[in-house]
Amino acid sequence: MDPAKTARPRPTIVSNRARPGVDKPFADYVLGKPWDEMFTADFTPRPHAAGLYDTLTTLAAEDLVRRQHACEQSFLHQGITFTVYGHTESTEKIIPTDLLPRIIPGAEWDKLERGLRQRIAALNLFLKDVYNDGKILNDGVVPRDLVYGSKHYLRQMRGVQVPLDAYVNVCGTDIIRCEDGALVVLEDNLRVPSGVSYMLANREVAKRAFPDLYRACGVRPIEQYAEELLTTLKELAVGFRDNPRIVLLTPGIFNSAYYEHAFLARQMGVDLVEGRDLLVHDNVVYMRTTSGVKRVDVIYRRIDDDFVDPLAFRHDSALGVAGLMNAYRAGNVVVANTMGTGVADDKAVYSYVPAIIKYYLGEEPLLGIVETYRCREPKALSFVLANLDSLVVKAVGESGGYGMLVGPHASIAEREAFAVKVKADPENYIAQPTIQLSTAPCFVGSGVEARHVDLRPYMLTGRQSRLVPGALTRVALKRGSLVVNSSQGGGSKDTWVVG
Amino acid sequence: MFYSIRHITRYRYDAPVRESVMQLYMQPKSEGAQRLQSFQVSTNPRAGLQAYTDHFGNAVYHFDVPGTHQELQVEADAEVEVQAMPAPPEWVDASAWAVLETAAVKGEHFDMLVGHGIAQATPALRAFLDERALTKTSDPMTTLRRLNRAVFDGFDYAPEATEVDSSIDVALGKRKGVCQDFAHIMIATARAWGIPARYVSGYLFTKREAGDRSASDATHAWVEAFIPGCGWVGFDPTNNVLAGERHIRVAIGRDYSDVPPSRGVFKGPANSELAVAVRVTPAQVPRRRDDFLRVVRPMAKGALPPDMDAIDAQQQQ
Repeated sequence: MDPAKTARPRPTIVSNRARPGVDKPFADYVLGKPWDEMFTADFTPRPHAAGLYDTLTTLAAEDLVRRQHACEQSFLHQGITFTVYGHTESTEKIIPTDLLPRIIPGAEWDKLERGLRQRIAALNLFLKDVYNDGKILNDGVVPRDLVYGSKHYLRQMRGVQVPLDAYVNVCGTDIIRCEDGALVVLEDNLRVPSGVSYMLANREVAKRAFPDLYRACGVRPIEQYAEELLTTLKELAVGFRDNPRIVLLTPGIFNSAYYEHAFLARQMGVDLVEGRDLLVHDNVVYMRTTSGVKRVDVIYRRIDDDFVDPLAFRHDSALGVAGLMNAYRAGNVVVANTMGTGVADDKAVYSYVPAIIKYYLGEEPLLGIVETYRCREPKALSFVLANLDSLVVKAVGESGGYGMLVGPHASIAEREAFAVKVKADPENYIAQPTIQLSTAPCFVGSGVEARHVDLRPYMLTGRQSRLVPGALTRVALKRGSLVVNSSQGGGSKDTWVVG
Repeated sequence: MFYSIRHITRYRYDAPVRESVMQLYMQPKSEGAQRLQSFQVSTNPRAGLQAYTDHFGNAVYHFDVPGTHQELQVEADAEVEVQAMPAPPEWVDASAWAVLETAAVKGEHFDMLVGHGIAQATPALRAFLDERALTKTSDPMTTLRRLNRAVFDGFDYAPEATEVDSSIDVALGKRKGVCQDFAHIMIATARAWGIPARYVSGYLFTKREAGDRSASDATHAWVEAFIPGCGWVGFDPTNNVLAGERHIRVAIGRDYSDVPPSRGVFKGPANSELAVAVRVTPAQVPRRRDDFLRVVRPMAKGALPPDMDAIDAQQQQ
């Protein structure tokens, strides 16, 4: 350690420190019941956030505005946009980015990483089991109908050999911090998780906005993500040629995450293809190129299961490749993530993950989950219906904030309408207490205010699991809002793992 | 009985198409009372045939035609032996109901106990059951025999009334349909009563004198239900019989959509026409290969090929 760095004098002293709730830029900073990522309950900056606090207090407000503006411009110029479905006007929006990094101490991150590794190892074992012997179902640890009745359980995957038994190769786990400061899992995204390009773009922005602070904090690097993804994809091509041809399969330019698909393909130096660019002949996948067809060995697909192969799955899919499942079954192509992983990130299976970890690994779960009421259980159902005003109710098979009710923020009419839906199909719903996501400082207008955030790290799994020390921190940009999904108007910010 | 089965499928397109990918559930099974003696598929345009066994244990063949074409023909020829099996009992013990309620049965036959796709218990189905006063009776075998007859009596056989993938409500509304509809209606009912039931796709050697209604030039479909003590028992509600020596099993699934005889996708802006011909004919007992072969050059005496020692010697020159 450079002694000059450790001894660096703070530019502020306690007596003239900006008082949150009183002084600029923290005049409108409100600390509530939720954990705050920057301040303790008595407004003392936490040690790992002290550097950011100091920087903010010394910067003029105009300076912050200028930096935020530069950041937005840079996103627009790079074309970092996100399509929000259900809006009639322009659907291409830039995902709002907040300038201020969210800071996580290294030791805490290391603990989180161990928990994530354990969780993903168990989920991969679970997937292998439910698509083969079904031991966990026979042993009654997870109800059989929950798995076999899930719309994401693909019978076509039964008995199919999966490279390295790694069903989930890219996993984006949503983590939240509870009021007591514990990091817990809110949701596993095991199908086609998106958002990693924002993690990388946010880093570029934050580095440029706070170059001195970035250097001083010793932020762990994440820029190697695409390289590690490529390594993971190559590892999966067991028994293929030395230089397997890898492609990224996108639904096309109208997909909300098309920017990300193009970005990752470019970063990895692989071809970005649509379903119509590929064909299957005699159980082998080929890509059309200007110089004829070329064999494809690995497909990093960003298309949902249903659409992957019109012969095997949704017959009206125009996005997929007919015969792909046959080629996969024959072991002639790798598809990442494997089809059928959605059965394990079902919101109802979620409540069984601690039991799943114990069952396969014989270990206590290192990461907690949010208490979950399964509406399929009559007692839980009546509790949920009686407490709709305080619960968050979610449809089991949906993702991205669709089909959910946030009880405390819903009108009576909305709650009643939702109760009808839940009663009609209780198996399809779970409920959780309203979790007060932790808050973090965000630059809003001319000052810094507290906004709710979550955390989505991206775990890669091939021969081994890899986790870049960083994540997408999603932000609910509206004051008081708990909805961070980009499809519901949330934003994001950089995440610094320090020390 | 020995049968030879010829099953021709022809797709025609009103404009050139390309990249046809097709899968076939056409190979008769070789299990239980049934032995598959031979099976051949040929396609025109010619294609490389691949095969795998699906999760229900069915043989699936598939192939692709990458180039442009306006017609695609599949010819499948099979020779099958079906042995007569002792008829299942008229009834079973009433305790069979309790066995069906056990976790072991419910677990093992999960897929064949829940409604799927077309085979769903709809309000129209419940109305039909009420109208015919059909409920669970003394034991599952008796119950299903009654159901088999009720579906036979309650519907006319009318090929134009429904499409292959019609909801059972179409047939229930018109009281007309074909084997698929009757099978789906019986499956949905059996499952609603807690009896595992599955869809069987296959062929029937039609006998008018036996009262068969099925068209003789088409594929057939019927139902198998799991009855404790008997295993899977085949019911053919189209013809009011139990599946026997004249039923040739090809594939089993939850409903038609799991095991269509042929399914394909193609690329190109074209409408398609599907034509199918099936012929099931009784065959002579295939001659054993030894009888069939005729010796054209008898065993030669003398002039034995050199033995190993001689070869070693030759190598030393």
